[in-house]
Amino acid sequence: MSSRSVSRILILFVVFSLLLVGSMGVLAQDEKVTVGVDAPPRTMDPHGSDADSNLSVMSNFFEGLLQRNTKGELLPGLATSWERVDRLTWRFELRKGVEFHNGNEFTWEDVKYTFEERLENPEVSEFISFGSAIESVSRVDGNDWVIDIVTTEPIPYFVQNLHQVFIVDKESTMERSQGDIGTKPVGTGPYVFDEWVKGSYLRMSANQNYWDGVPEVKNAEIRAITEASTRLATISSGEVDVLQGIPVTMYEAVENNNSIEVITRPSRRAIYLGLGNRDELPTSSLKVRKAMYMAINEKELIEKVMFGHATPAAQIPDPPTTGYSDKIERLEYNPERAKELLAEAGYEDGFTITLSAPNDRYVQDEQIASTIASYLSKVGIDVEVDAKPKSVYFEEVMNNELDFYLIGWFDGSYDFGRSYSKLLHSVDPETGYGTFNGARYSDSVADQLYEASKKVVDPDLRASILRDLNRLAMERVAVIPLHYQEDTYAVRKDSSVEFTPRSDTWIVFKEMSLE
Amino acid sequence: MFSKINELRESKIYKHFVSQPLAVVALIVITLLFLGAVLAPIIAPQDPYAMDKLSLGDSLLPPIWMEGGKAPFILGTDVQGRDIFSTILYGSRTSFIVGLSVVTISGIFGGIIGLFAGYFGGIFDSIVMRSADTVLSFSKTLIAMLLLGIFKQSSMLLVILAIVISDWVQYARTIRGEVLSVKEEEYVLASKAIGGTHLRTIFKHVLPNAVSPLLVVGAVDFGIAVMLEATLSFLGVGVPVTQPSLGMLISQGRNYLYAGKWWLIVFPGLTLMAIVFSLNLISDWLRDEIDPKVSNF
Amino acid sequence: MSSYIGRRILQGIVVLFLVSFIAFIIFQYLGDPVMTLAGRYATQAQREEVRQSLGLDKPFYVQYFNFLKNALQGNFGMSYVTRVPVLDLIAERLPASIELAFVAESFAVIMGVSLGVFVSANPKSIMSKFLMTGSLFGVSLPTFLVGILLIYIFSIKLGIMPSSGRGETITILNFWRSGLLTLDGWRHVILPAFTLGMFQMALLFRITRGAMLEVLSAEYIRTAWAKGLKGKMVLFKHALRNALIPVVTMIGLQFGQLIGFAIVTESIFQWPGAGNLLLNSLYESDFPVVATYVIMVALIVVFLNVIVDISYAFLNPKIRYK
Repeated sequence: MSSRSVSRILILFVVFSLLLVGSMGVLAQDEKVTVGVDAPPRTMDPHGSDADSNLSVMSNFFEGLLQRNTKGELLPGLATSWERVDRLTWRFELRKGVEFHNGNEFTWEDVKYTFEERLENPEVSEFISFGSAIESVSRVDGNDWVIDIVTTEPIPYFVQNLHQVFIVDKESTMERSQGDIGTKPVGTGPYVFDEWVKGSYLRMSANQNYWDGVPEVKNAEIRAITEASTRLATISSGEVDVLQGIPVTMYEAVENNNSIEVITRPSRRAIYLGLGNRDELPTSSLKVRKAMYMAINEKELIEKVMFGHATPAAQIPDPPTTGYSDKIERLEYNPERAKELLAEAGYEDGFTITLSAPNDRYVQDEQIASTIASYLSKVGIDVEVDAKPKSVYFEEVMNNELDFYLIGWFDGSYDFGRSYSKLLHSVDPETGYGTFNGARYSDSVADQLYEASKKVVDPDLRASILRDLNRLAMERVAVIPLHYQEDTYAVRKDSSVEFTPRSDTWIVFKEMSLE
Repeated sequence: MFSKINELRESKIYKHFVSQPLAVVALIVITLLFLGAVLAPIIAPQDPYAMDKLSLGDSLLPPIWMEGGKAPFILGTDVQGRDIFSTILYGSRTSFIVGLSVVTISGIFGGIIGLFAGYFGGIFDSIVMRSADTVLSFSKTLIAMLLLGIFKQSSMLLVILAIVISDWVQYARTIRGEVLSVKEEEYVLASKAIGGTHLRTIFKHVLPNAVSPLLVVGAVDFGIAVMLEATLSFLGVGVPVTQPSLGMLISQGRNYLYAGKWWLIVFPGLTLMAIVFSLNLISDWLRDEIDPKVSNF
Repeated sequence: MSSYIGRRILQGIVVLFLVSFIAFIIFQYLGDPVMTLAGRYATQAQREEVRQSLGLDKPFYVQYFNFLKNALQGNFGMSYVTRVPVLDLIAERLPASIELAFVAESFAVIMGVSLGVFVSANPKSIMSKFLMTGSLFGVSLPTFLVGILLIYIFSIKLGIMPSSGRGETITILNFWRSGLLTLDGWRHVILPAFTLGMFQMALLFRITRGAMLEVLSAEYIRTAWAKGLKGKMVLFKHALRNALIPVVTMIGLQFGQLIGFAIVTESIFQWPGAGNLLLNSLYESDFPVVATYVIMVALIVVFLNVIVDISYAFLNPKIRYK
């Protein structure tokens, strides 16, 4: 082959590439709104995953008995009203005249089927623990539009969950195979499923028969882009109109881009450090736990590691959560006092401890862990950072085998009682208490207080008990709270999409409008 | 002493070497980088992993010649306030350790297996070759990810192990091929005929002939191992953060590139490239030396 | 000859068996799918229930035997995560991977072979020296770094290339979703294909050059020269045909790997291919997907290996008797 034919091939390549580049401008501009998200939906079975990334998508196809608006307030959904009849019974009035996407009418049978059969099926449901707490669903006085849901034990926050328990069509769900249910959603929601190309995109169009009026955005697409830098590139190049989850490290790049508007809101998720208080651990001493708390300069951490995109936290729950207390304050940053406390506790020379953390779960998780190690080393505590992928890390947390760990939490049911039972209650595999209590923290006084709160029906009294519980836990430094993350979104100005972020980070297309 | 040097000057290999200026440069570069890695604790301005020495106040400083740069951070700092120059020295240490260990272990292990497989043939040979095929139908990245899954934690040893599991194959295949072609040579047959033991025959006659191709494979493999380690770090299953390698620096640096903090990815990236590139140049030159006729890759 | 082929196929089957066994043993020890499946809030008893319903409480040889028995009937089970038949899941992703590998390989072959021939024909030229050194860069950069830099330059800085996905696709024959039939699809494939193919191109370039130089130094080529045939003709007719044997071998051997293990490239460019599926499944401990996937790729690799070996035997009779 001569050099001439080589150059011919080269020229061909160049021409071809130019053609492709040139075709950039002719991209069709339809009314479709495309949103880039950071995690892909796993299944189209609305009960197959309780991850927010999945529920977010499902909320466009399905509806629960209740729903939440962007502020997180509970509103009527498929039920028009609700009340707690007694400790175990909840009564709902159902909405009439609602149709599933396949034309079937929404009835109380669908609610019964969803609650009694779908939720409790261990092979398909990630809501089994919620589902198994359901005793029965029945009509009241033979009226098809009023139902009672009875739970097996008192669940004070029962209705708080109902916006994420989606109702499915009994008839078609029973007919179809699980594989079909998991790929083709049929709900009552504002959008009808079009196409899901796994790993690529999910397309949907407005439900022309939606009971609350046809939504303004007619066609919508969700694209999951897990690699952070690529995700950012999609908004810069105009491949998506709205982007969820701008990595804080790249924030500056987006802010300097004139064609992109940045929207932020405080996240519900608090990042904190869990500790063990077993006798053999140095952290069994309250003084040591306080010292570690005081050794951390959270303000500097937020500024430098989170690039200013976080707010300091003094407790685990966020303000809208029942049990949040505005009386709790952070311990001050004071490394000198921390050293004294360590000395008083008998650790003048410090000690060694391993800090476990995920490296692909929270904003800057691994970097936060390193920074904590750096702060603690300055008061004499030698910290080994053990950061690993979330799939491995969370298994260790759930096996409760850690000493010191970084984790984040936000409570989907807005209830600190529930958070407490999962995060801080002494581990008890039988009842499911302490599932995420990674270091087996245990405080019998607080546990008793929690038990007491469960028996209270009066919501105000219960809230005040939960606030006390929260204060008690923070006084005893059951965890070291760090910060609330910030949810960040980017919107392309030329897309004319009006977008308000939600407290639960869901992408709900019916809430968007076009200018 | 002088005569020795003169002798060296006269040697063919030396002449060839200096006639290849690129190879000379490559050798110098790799030597410097290696020395930098070995002497890191002495020459690095900062121990980047002594947690108590770090200050977030120095976070993300640009290189010293840019506005906002600050001594002693010649190449700038990362988000933790670590000196990039020092992290590169320490990081290449990890990369060199991984590369050298992989080459040594898979070279010896694969070499011996290939030697015996080729020499004895038969069942043993079949077992070895089938295992090799099996390994080759997994990818190196996959093997490493599976290992991480089994051991539930990342460590340098695990990374080395993961790479060795897939790398021994090429050494074994190379040496087996050589052995097969040497085996029927007259001097080997002669050694057998006069009652030489297997071991003796193998080590005295077969091995010396098969060594040189191994060297070439080794030089290339070194570079591949260093790159693979970097890829594993990128996928989140590489060496632990407390023992960062060049790959980890690059993969962490990618998050800052778009915000204009280019020094976090560019300097480690260049270093990694310099190492692999030099190794490839050297192996190229080695190959030409050993077998000027065949210059396969 | 037929006994050689038979033996070679038998060896292939042995390898596949080993792969399936290893895959299965390893997956026994990977993360616990019950955790992902039972939901974060499940109690111990509920987890146990899930474990039993998945058959995960049985001894591993029983599970392995069941797995193998089902696999031979084409039933690879359901994905833990999506509860969809695994085979469907993989089949849905394979076209994307095959197309990406195909474009990458074509690019690598066209560029690599032609440059290799060019360099061997003009070994002394400066261009050749430059290309030789340049090709070393191609094998000195980790794939992920190339991908990141390409996205940074072409998508972010210049804004002329899409950074992710396949673009518009057209479904043909009811199952094959193709991106190569639309202009948009081609625009999307360029960057990832280049990233994936670069290493391959450098490799093929160097192999071609080596093979060409070897053949050119052979007796019959020199004879051809002496007979006065024109230089170009000699190169094409004799040298290239002979030099292509190792090149074709290499292409065959690498293609399977390109399809199956473009993990890094697919993850950077969010290419909806099988490699991306594998990575996600690994992260989510979706064992059935990973197990099936590993076996499927082994199937492709072994198949190509056997084909290459057999055609080699046809071309080079000496091998048959070894």
